[in-house]
Amino acid sequence: MAGPADSLYIQQLVELLAVVSSSPDEASAVQNAVERSAQALEAEVAAAVIDGKVVASIGFPPGAVPHDEIVAMAGQQHSELDVPGLGDSPTVTASWAGSHPGHLVLARWGAPFQVEEQNLVRGMARVLELTLTMLRTLVAEHAMRESLQERQRLLEHLSAIQRAISHREDLQDILDTITEGARDLLGDGIGLLWVRDEPDSGRARLAAAAGTRPVDPADRPLVDLTAAAPAGEAMVTDRVAVRHGEELQSKMLKLLGPGTVHASMAAPVHDSGVLTGALVVASCDPTRRYSAADEQTLSAFAENVSLALTDANTLVRMRQARHDPLTGLASRGLFLEQLAQQLAIADGDGRTLAVLFLDLDRFKDINDSLGHAAGDQLLTLTADRITAQLRAGDTASRFGGDEFAVMLARVDRPQDAAGVARRIVTALAEPMRVADQWLRVSVSVGVALSSTDGQEPAELVARADLAMYEAKHRGTGGYAIYCDR
Amino acid sequence: MGEEVHNRRWLGVGRSTQADSGAAATEAVREARAGPDPKLLIVFAAITHDTAAVLAGVARAAPGVPVIGCTTHGEIGVGGPADGTVTVAAIGGVGLEVATCAVEHVSGRQAEAGYEAASCMRDVSQPHRVLMLLTDGLVRDQESIVRGSYRALGAGTPLFGGAAADGWRMNGVYLFKDGHVLTDAVIGAAIASEAPLAVGVGHGYRTVGQPMIVTRAADGRVLTLDDRPALDVYLERLDAPPEAYTDPSAFTDFALPRPLGVQRRSGVEARNLSTEVDLEGRSIGGGGAIDPGGLTWVMTGDEQSILESVDTVCRDTLDRLGGNDPIGMLTFSCAASRAVLGDDGIRREGERLQRWAGTMPFAGFYTYGEIARNHGIDGFHNQTLAVLALS
Repeated sequence: MAGPADSLYIQQLVELLAVVSSSPDEASAVQNAVERSAQALEAEVAAAVIDGKVVASIGFPPGAVPHDEIVAMAGQQHSELDVPGLGDSPTVTASWAGSHPGHLVLARWGAPFQVEEQNLVRGMARVLELTLTMLRTLVAEHAMRESLQERQRLLEHLSAIQRAISHREDLQDILDTITEGARDLLGDGIGLLWVRDEPDSGRARLAAAAGTRPVDPADRPLVDLTAAAPAGEAMVTDRVAVRHGEELQSKMLKLLGPGTVHASMAAPVHDSGVLTGALVVASCDPTRRYSAADEQTLSAFAENVSLALTDANTLVRMRQARHDPLTGLASRGLFLEQLAQQLAIADGDGRTLAVLFLDLDRFKDINDSLGHAAGDQLLTLTADRITAQLRAGDTASRFGGDEFAVMLARVDRPQDAAGVARRIVTALAEPMRVADQWLRVSVSVGVALSSTDGQEPAELVARADLAMYEAKHRGTGGYAIYCDR
Repeated sequence: MGEEVHNRRWLGVGRSTQADSGAAATEAVREARAGPDPKLLIVFAAITHDTAAVLAGVARAAPGVPVIGCTTHGEIGVGGPADGTVTVAAIGGVGLEVATCAVEHVSGRQAEAGYEAASCMRDVSQPHRVLMLLTDGLVRDQESIVRGSYRALGAGTPLFGGAAADGWRMNGVYLFKDGHVLTDAVIGAAIASEAPLAVGVGHGYRTVGQPMIVTRAADGRVLTLDDRPALDVYLERLDAPPEAYTDPSAFTDFALPRPLGVQRRSGVEARNLSTEVDLEGRSIGGGGAIDPGGLTWVMTGDEQSILESVDTVCRDTLDRLGGNDPIGMLTFSCAASRAVLGDDGIRREGERLQRWAGTMPFAGFYTYGEIARNHGIDGFHNQTLAVLALS
């Protein structure tokens, strides 16, 4: 699980998503989004500007909303807004394009918005935009469909997906739910989800499939994006593509279909505003004809895929900013933040925690002789072996280069920390398969235990670092405990 | 007990331990009336009192003076915390303005009621303003009441107040507005002054262990944590005694000092989920919303941490007066904190408040929820001390 600071942004995005997607209409969705974003960022003012007008706001008494200033603010990235009773307050703005371009504007007294908070606001604007598009699609859908029962089914499927997103289910499960839902809703035999392989790639990979011949999850089909197939057309034109007739079906559909496919339809899917995939339904019924209402239904579903992708990827991007991209361990900043929190708690509970500082011996030689790729592989294996020695609640971090740090959240005696240090030294002494060679590296570990004098996290790490040098001095592949004498 | 501490504006406090409700109210009001031109009487009455008689006694002692107030889970004031009393704070003098209103039939339209309760702010004009709210502590979703008031007033007006209590009887709290005893209501009091008013709030609880995800929540109740029944997960985390799993009152006793924490940008907020346990459905609920999808922690506090937070809140509130001399404080503390502190602990809490007050008067009550907002758009709290200081 991500650390508390990390989780806060994730939590706020998920909560916004849950609140906004459960709103019954556009007006309440916008007002809820505005209030929830202000709440999440502890801002006094939030407003949504759509088509050049303030359509929802909080923080001003009714009749005193400074419409012109807020609209002007929406055009700029950073500025200040004069909030009556508080004064000039820093603002943050996030915009979206599309058929109804809009802006989310927030102002907070006394505390400028940090980079992570600006990212969060951008993510929130995206969630709002997608929800609005979906609600508008549903309005069109309502007008077209007379069958209350069918509308009910559509809403049930949509809420099932939104629940899955809110409950942080695995992304693959969410995509499977959407694909299965689209197939079931349209009453078709086959549901497929194609997602672009790489951001600028001309190929798409099958991300989820329902009602097809078995697909090996480890070997999902990859196809070139051409207008010949409906998915390709939807991903090229950014519009719903329909194919009626056996002879017009793509080779891949013929391959995946349980029988002869007679009709297929694809709707485009976006990730953070970029056209990135297509949701496809297909039928083996020779009489199947897709109506305009069917196209709207698939579009609504595709918006949900976009929401899931945007949400999940925003979370991944947020997480990456706080984790070492190579090893996935906590970044130095995140580690020190968590250490500070745990030190405060340990201080209150009268318990001790330990910091281990690790430095690989001979890493530079390996990196120089076998190359950076081998060096990276070695670091990844090292990270895995370190984390394998830890308990839940302990945290490992890559500090940079070949330096790692570990926080043991609870140690009853110095021997406990020494025991973990010994296990890590032993685990890393085992040969590693890197660049087709068996390599032996060793590690020097310094151990420092927290004291009861309100210690700073950096100081505790510095002590562990000193002890690490002592260990290195004694010879490679060992550990030393910091002693305050 | 009350005394005139300022030439123009004053706050006075009176208290009576008399058993006769009318006589107690009359005595407390007379003592609280510490200066000329009283603008507002704020009455805190123990649930054991006859509320109609209390209001009659108040009217006898100060006819025509606006009155607001409520029943309590203990009265706070000069001389320490007390049960069974009528405790009254009075404010008045030149340079102070007050307008009050009452909104009834709050359940089901909390946000609207909060919005309407803020309407009294239209009737004052002095530059320094606070909207004080007294709410029915048994009404759900108190956050929405506060949000409604914020929608009406915007960022420029601090909010302060508390949820009326009934000494853990949980079957009926009462609010006072002039001669009327109300339930399912919100009382709004616009307090405006020529000199600064300051609001402060804080709690003395800390998180324990790893966070849990609120996987299902609805209507102010937490149904599941980490996809399992919330009641069981919560008790297992705390290694609770067996009776807390099966006996509602044992559960409440165990859970009162152990709120759930909700992560916010500026810290972890405490949510008391001790009062509405559902042993059949294995869910927990109480004084404040917890949203699905959010992270939550078990929290604990002790006498030392709570008393330290009293210091922090008082220091912060008085600092916000910007160097102006305070004339008195309203001090609203959480009923759940009484469970942690015990009778000796709340006496020491009172001493701590007295130390910060010095010679100036202060009064308040033990609430079913505290209201305090300076920044952001939220202002409903659990397990906190909320203070309004007047200068």
